[in-house]
Amino acid sequence: MDKRKGYFLIIPAIIIMCIFTLYPLIEGIRVSFTDKSLLRAEYSYVGVDNYKQMLSDPIFWLSLWHSLILTGVVVILQLIFGLILAWTMKQKIPGMPIYKSIIMASWVIPVAATVTIFKFMAQSDVGFINIILKSIGLKSLVRYWFGDPLTAFPMIILLHLWRNVPFYGIAFLAAMQTIPASFYESAEIDGANAFQRFWYITLPGIRNMIIVMVTIHVLWTFNNFDFIYLATGGGPVNSTDVLPVYVYRQSWDSYAAGYGASIGTVMLLILSIYLIIYLLIQERGEYER
Amino acid sequence: MKGLRLNTRQIKIRDGIVAYIIIFISLCFFILPMIWIFYCSFRTQESIFTGKIIASLKGFTFNNYIKIFSVTDFPRYFVNSVKISSLVTILSLIISIFGAYGLSRYDIKGKKIVILGIFSTQMFPQVLLLIPLFLVVFSLNLMNSILGIVLTQLILVLPFCLWMLEGYFDTIPIDLDDAAKIDGSNLIQQLIYVILPIAAPGTMVVAFYSFVVSWSDYLIVSVISQSQNTATLTLIMRRLSSSLLIRWGQVCAVATLTIVPTLIIFAFVQKRLIEGLTAGALKE
Repeated sequence: MDKRKGYFLIIPAIIIMCIFTLYPLIEGIRVSFTDKSLLRAEYSYVGVDNYKQMLSDPIFWLSLWHSLILTGVVVILQLIFGLILAWTMKQKIPGMPIYKSIIMASWVIPVAATVTIFKFMAQSDVGFINIILKSIGLKSLVRYWFGDPLTAFPMIILLHLWRNVPFYGIAFLAAMQTIPASFYESAEIDGANAFQRFWYITLPGIRNMIIVMVTIHVLWTFNNFDFIYLATGGGPVNSTDVLPVYVYRQSWDSYAAGYGASIGTVMLLILSIYLIIYLLIQERGEYER
Repeated sequence: MKGLRLNTRQIKIRDGIVAYIIIFISLCFFILPMIWIFYCSFRTQESIFTGKIIASLKGFTFNNYIKIFSVTDFPRYFVNSVKISSLVTILSLIISIFGAYGLSRYDIKGKKIVILGIFSTQMFPQVLLLIPLFLVVFSLNLMNSILGIVLTQLILVLPFCLWMLEGYFDTIPIDLDDAAKIDGSNLIQQLIYVILPIAAPGTMVVAFYSFVVSWSDYLIVSVISQSQNTATLTLIMRRLSSSLLIRWGQVCAVATLTIVPTLIIFAFVQKRLIEGLTAGALKE
């Protein structure tokens, strides 16, 4: 009797997740084997034709490459800067509580607003970045930073760092505060230098947090659509094309829903492989302990 | 011994100086852009186009705000955003409070699978779900409706909300439920009078999270909203900042008014939110 009540309580959540996530997922994978288009109702199964088409599609390979590079570079840089920020916030100096309370602001605001802010700052005539460059005599560098194939991709990386590094910092700080101070004191007595203390005490102490943050952000960055779509739409000349943006353009601009879905399915496969490797490593780590 | 003490003192001073340098640089990087658009939202188009940082006094104006409220459809979009985000918040609270309570208190078969299943949806590429989602919403006859957007956005927030609240409920002793039960209160009363007051911090975090995620969503709204009746702030911001002649002052004003609500709510729940977000990784 009591048990049934439990199921009753959880059922609304499960229904919503099934209708709006599980079913679309299965349906999406099914569509990837068809030539479905949003322009017409009828469609037919084409087997693995979409996947074959992908193999010879240079934009797909370019997007895949960009997605992997972007995710790798962004997560590694976020990790490094997050550690630096956490170290900084650990210092007991005046003003730190205020700093901690405002530093997360960039993480909270909508991505669409972040993109708007940076587009405005990157304008060649009225943008803040270029005003500064002009005033320090670097006029040759002035450009619309999202419109130049050379700088658009680094700007996207910058957007990701801007949003997430403070979150890393705060999370690592929370983890560092659980390491007993006595660990550091005894290390100091043993004559360990700052790097050794970091390497042998801090890093193992926040290992779990690092794993969680990296996992979340690999998924988040690889799947992220808004930053690039809103900032550059994949351009200029495909220099910032990534898989999510390419899927969206195929499905909604080129109306090739079947082809778009097949690329989406490949994204899902890549993430599954990543998660399996992660779980294997995690499990081995458990044994070693 | 004396020399060593002086040394650690020196290290402390050095660390302090380095920390202040990092603080200064990071404030310039993370906070200055927000101050800049806030500042520019009060400048005239001419003042912005002088390309100077410090504007003369007559370059300041409230016109940008007056214009977006009187000339553009901004008020309607703002109301839409508020409506959608509030509904998402209310629904996700109701569903996740009941769901988390069920998961936490009842011996449900396959509980682990349910939790893992709901959580793994977080890794699905949203762009892959989008076309089927579009068709689902279409066949439910909810295209271009607030309800359609709200129901779809729920999938963005429910996994975190369920997980967060389940963790919270787990920390509340089950004796309290039993005591209430003996007093003859039903499930709803138990939740309202016993559980929720204790779990208020967690509930606040969940409410904040739902509101901000919905407020920030672009992808789902861009597909399901087909007219001005359901367009939200994130949509209009894109439209404004990609038109031919961009009125940057007005764009900055819209951006400011989009950002400010999220910052205000965040200020209230910041501490709890960070505790909640980091708690999962700190357990064990």
